[in-house]
Amino acid sequence: MIPMDIIKTLKDSYHVMIKDMIELKRNRVELVTLAIMPLLFLVIFGFIYPSGNSHDNIQMGLVNLDQGAGSNEFIAQMETMNKQIESTTKNSSYMSFNNYSSVDAAKTAINQGKIHGAFVIPPGFSNNVTNGQPGNIIIYVDNSNPQVAASIEQVSSGTVSGLNGVLAENNVLKLGNAANQQINPQAVIAPYTPNIVTTIPGANNYLNFLAPGLMIMIGMMAVMIGIPEAFSKEKETGTFDGMLSAPINHLSVLLGKTMALSVRGLLQCIFVLAFAVLLFGVTIQGSLLLAFFMVILGIFSFIGIGIMAVSLAGDQSTGTMIMNLLMFPFMFLGGIFFPISQMPWIMQEISKLIPLTYAADAMRKIMLLNANVADVSTDIIILLAFGIITMAIALPLFSRSMKQ
Amino acid sequence: MTENAIELKNLTKKFGDFTAVDKLSLDIKENEIFGFLGPNGAGKSTTIRMLCTLSTPTSGSAKVAGYDLIKDSAKVREKIGLVAEKMIMYDKLTAAENLRFFGKLYAIPKQKLEDRIDELLELVNMQEWKHTQISKFSTGMKQRINVIRALLPEPEIIFMDEPTLGLDPQTTFSIRDITRDINKSDVTVILTTHAMIEAEALSDRIAIIDHGKIAALDTPQNLKNLIAESDTSVFGAKITNLTPKLIGKINSLDVVAAVAQQDDHNLKISANGTDALNQIIDVIRLEGGNIASITNSNDSTLEDVFLAVTGKTIRDQANEKAAPTHHRHGQAPKARIR
Repeated sequence: MIPMDIIKTLKDSYHVMIKDMIELKRNRVELVTLAIMPLLFLVIFGFIYPSGNSHDNIQMGLVNLDQGAGSNEFIAQMETMNKQIESTTKNSSYMSFNNYSSVDAAKTAINQGKIHGAFVIPPGFSNNVTNGQPGNIIIYVDNSNPQVAASIEQVSSGTVSGLNGVLAENNVLKLGNAANQQINPQAVIAPYTPNIVTTIPGANNYLNFLAPGLMIMIGMMAVMIGIPEAFSKEKETGTFDGMLSAPINHLSVLLGKTMALSVRGLLQCIFVLAFAVLLFGVTIQGSLLLAFFMVILGIFSFIGIGIMAVSLAGDQSTGTMIMNLLMFPFMFLGGIFFPISQMPWIMQEISKLIPLTYAADAMRKIMLLNANVADVSTDIIILLAFGIITMAIALPLFSRSMKQ
Repeated sequence: MTENAIELKNLTKKFGDFTAVDKLSLDIKENEIFGFLGPNGAGKSTTIRMLCTLSTPTSGSAKVAGYDLIKDSAKVREKIGLVAEKMIMYDKLTAAENLRFFGKLYAIPKQKLEDRIDELLELVNMQEWKHTQISKFSTGMKQRINVIRALLPEPEIIFMDEPTLGLDPQTTFSIRDITRDINKSDVTVILTTHAMIEAEALSDRIAIIDHGKIAALDTPQNLKNLIAESDTSVFGAKITNLTPKLIGKINSLDVVAAVAQQDDHNLKISANGTDALNQIIDVIRLEGGNIASITNSNDSTLEDVFLAVTGKTIRDQANEKAAPTHHRHGQAPKARIR
């Protein structure tokens, strides 16, 4: 008898799933939203994150209070340097320089938002340089915008240290010539030369980091938001009573709806992947099969939470509220948009409690690093455990809520 | 008509402190049309929900189609059909798809299910709409689908919760005809309704429920006789200059059980005692009311019984809501606030 019951439950789940899929298929607005949402996420989150390419043409002020030969040479070299950097990257320079006659004029321009910082060459700069004294330069940085400030500090110090290098090279050559010795100036100035080899060929692409996590997140949203929504809709329109007054196991309603939502989540994942590869040049190194297995496992691990929400919430708005409460920490602490290792330690600890962290981590390893099942086995075990434990709590809650 | 389709024993449902159904004991015979009448919130729908296994009783027990409601709920569900007030159907699905989906949940074999769908659509004259999405249907068409959906598994008992609420007269009549047809094919029908005429026209027996308890239970005719035999009398009064204040005055008389406003001029007053009519006329005259006619409803309607039995409750509810009286088709006119 028991196997018969299981077969009946599975059959009923299948009928519920098919019914839900037909409903989805007929809902054009929902279908379009389904496809647009992944695109929107990719575009928005892919471009708002300050990536390596984003500090182009930072407007900088230039205040030369020295007006000597040394400062003019410094400025000329800095501009060349700026263009040299430019030629190696895309057709843009790191900084654009605007001349100001005084420090106050430059500060006013900063306050007006015309420039983000200023190089100030103090009086006596040329004198110091020719007399073998350090030539101090002051760099004003507008740190009301931390992201831009960080970029300026990085670019400015990079440029200045580049200038230092050029100058030092000349000096070393001069010294060598004076001592009649053959010297490689680079070996003296910078004895250590790092050669960076990346795991993923090609330039760094933030979307490479984003896409795998986004796939998992969209799958998660499909079930976490979808389950409470789907149940509330049936409860509120009254169709739920039709199913529950039929001779079926209540679990088959749950199973069927979850399956339909998982298919939907999987579809959205495919959209994310397709957009990421076709429109944003994301490269995939690993096995797609394993990636989709990971998505399914990820979705599975969130089902329990969705069921809890639908069991505890009386109506749709309460269910959605509970889900929003959970979704935001999941989204931002799960390492989808920002690397967890860059977070403060307390946030790192919290992120360890979030299943999305493990799913996104495993997904990234699989898709970007071609990791195999063994490499991500810890993630898999944690996700399985999370899914099973939450479901073990959720199912009795669900049964109880069905019998009001 | 020997066995009972449904037996309730002290069936009780509490929501927190509120007792929706209070120790309800009742036998419903096989093949009868049994009507549940009662004011809003009297416990009709809660009772139906319990009998359909959608809600678990707090205490007490019930047998539906011979099976224990709690222990054999799966068996009960095989034997019943539900026509709920909120129509059970999916807007995005066609009529056939809706019926097919629910039919599959009853594990009806494929070919049999298809035949049954055609047969039922024919019963309600909707074959030509078989492949049309429900969203394109009128309320009346939807309700016909809602009714035949419940008939899919050939149930022994069918529960109909307000089956004609909000329907036009044509559809209302057609639904009533269908209900009689269903009953003729040996199906027990449990009907809840506000429409007195409907309950009277369809039901073999009627239970008037109030505060989760049975206030009266008998055949429609016996219920009406009950009024005739008691010292409760029901008058119709036509007053040309009817005011809410005047209605209030009449209502405040001790002999008056309930006052219902029929339209701008007509009142229906149910009162107790032999001196009731005199007192009522005195009050109307004293308040300057101009009486055009008084009719003594010798053949009382079910509405009168309903008001006599539940009159006070309605007044209590009206005190809370104080909604103006609208006379909708066939529905009980609400009594005015005392």
